[in-house]
Amino acid sequence: MQNIAIQAKNLSVSFLIQKHGINNFKDFVITMGVKSPFEKKNVLKNLDLTIYKGESFGIMGRNGCGKSTFLRAIAGIMTPDEGTLTVNGRVAPLMALGVGLEPELSGYENIKLVATLMGFSKKELKNSIQTIIDFSELNEYEMEMQVKRYSSGMMARLAFSIAVATDPEILIIDEALAVGDMGFRQKCANRIEEIKKAGCTIIYVSHHFDEIKNICTRAAYIENGKVEKIGAVNEICDYYEKKLSNK
Amino acid sequence: MTKFDSTYKFLGLVNTLALKTIKLRYKNSIFGFLWSMMNPIIYLTIFSVVFSKAFPNIDRYPLFALTGLVFWIFFSTSTIQIIESIINNSGILKSINVPVIAFPIAAQQASLINLGLTLIPFTALMFIFGLKIGPETLLFIPILLLFTAFTLGISLILSSLNVYFRDMQLAWTSFMPAIFYSSPIAYTSDLIPEKLIWIIKLNPLYHFIGALRDVLYYNRIPSLTSVLLITLLGIVPLLIGFYIFNKLKKGFVSQF
Repeated sequence: MQNIAIQAKNLSVSFLIQKHGINNFKDFVITMGVKSPFEKKNVLKNLDLTIYKGESFGIMGRNGCGKSTFLRAIAGIMTPDEGTLTVNGRVAPLMALGVGLEPELSGYENIKLVATLMGFSKKELKNSIQTIIDFSELNEYEMEMQVKRYSSGMMARLAFSIAVATDPEILIIDEALAVGDMGFRQKCANRIEEIKKAGCTIIYVSHHFDEIKNICTRAAYIENGKVEKIGAVNEICDYYEKKLSNK
Repeated sequence: MTKFDSTYKFLGLVNTLALKTIKLRYKNSIFGFLWSMMNPIIYLTIFSVVFSKAFPNIDRYPLFALTGLVFWIFFSTSTIQIIESIINNSGILKSINVPVIAFPIAAQQASLINLGLTLIPFTALMFIFGLKIGPETLLFIPILLLFTAFTLGISLILSSLNVYFRDMQLAWTSFMPAIFYSSPIAYTSDLIPEKLIWIIKLNPLYHFIGALRDVLYYNRIPSLTSVLLITLLGIVPLLIGFYIFNKLKKGFVSQF
């Protein structure tokens, strides 16, 4: 029996959607809060999924099927309404590249900022700042440059370097690596391989079959907030393809 | 799982965010920090010209006005910036698991640092206008801290509601001038008819500005009732603010 990294049992996560218009708010006030101006929209419905430690797991599905919500739940950004979600280990979410980067500040200042947001203490930051800079392959001049003058590839380098510097136990990658030049993508792939070897669990969301087949061994296909199929990555890719061609 | 388990780390985060805010505010501007002094100076000039004649019985009117204005501006800028602090950082909050409350607290800290910086030239100006200092002047620090607690408490309520109803931000900015003119900042409360003074006293700012003025302008120790009142007014809204914020924060992500 392998160790479990993430286990979702009967997991339901919902959004509160604001009903538009003044009448809904009026009702809310008149009924003293009984009639809510919000409605719940279930994004994940009774989702069951187990991901084991050290595994590279791919998640596929159409836009809006609940992939990102599931990842946010794992990262602790969204809380489940029902069911349980057990997460064993430190999570490094790479939801979108460039989150938290402040365009007006320099690359160097941004490393400090984003790393602090990611949970680095001053000491940890001091220890790993050189590693981050080295990994990003950005030179001193570029480090001093304001991030708003970066190309999107350079921004991706910076963001990815910070995210992987945490030595995460669970790394979440949400279609974040599609930018960056060939050299850097190779480097990212290498680093992911390295992180994998170190025993880290990787959860990878992508629409690129090649990428997902390269990185992952197992995968799940999600539709309408439910896991429709779990299996080997090739199997899921084929299933997804069939689904797409049927429509 | 929470990476901000220690208070030390949390405070480090708040500090980093606050310093970032200050750095960004004056970046790419030529006069930078000088602008944050402009607002009180413009008001002060208008008041001195217009109201000095209107209130001839207020001794050292420019000092009187300044001791109120500086703190009024602290209150108004803090609340306005904190109200926006959560939605302005929605991108981060959607993707990284950080304690949301760090953002309003950091905005408050930035505002407080800014006040500290503006106080340096303004203290010089106050001396020119006839500021006298004594042991009671030191009381200014605890009063300011209570005032900050009050400001943060109010702002936490407003900012968390603002995530759901952006009306908060719009309403608050339009109420601002009304709050200003109904608080005794440019005038003394003696000018209010005796019968209506209770309305003015419902305004918490009346008590805070009053206490600050006691120590900075009248050179006297605030009365015991006044001290008790501002202590309550500092702590209770802050506790309510934290409570409401914690109640509402669960749904924040849905609104981003």
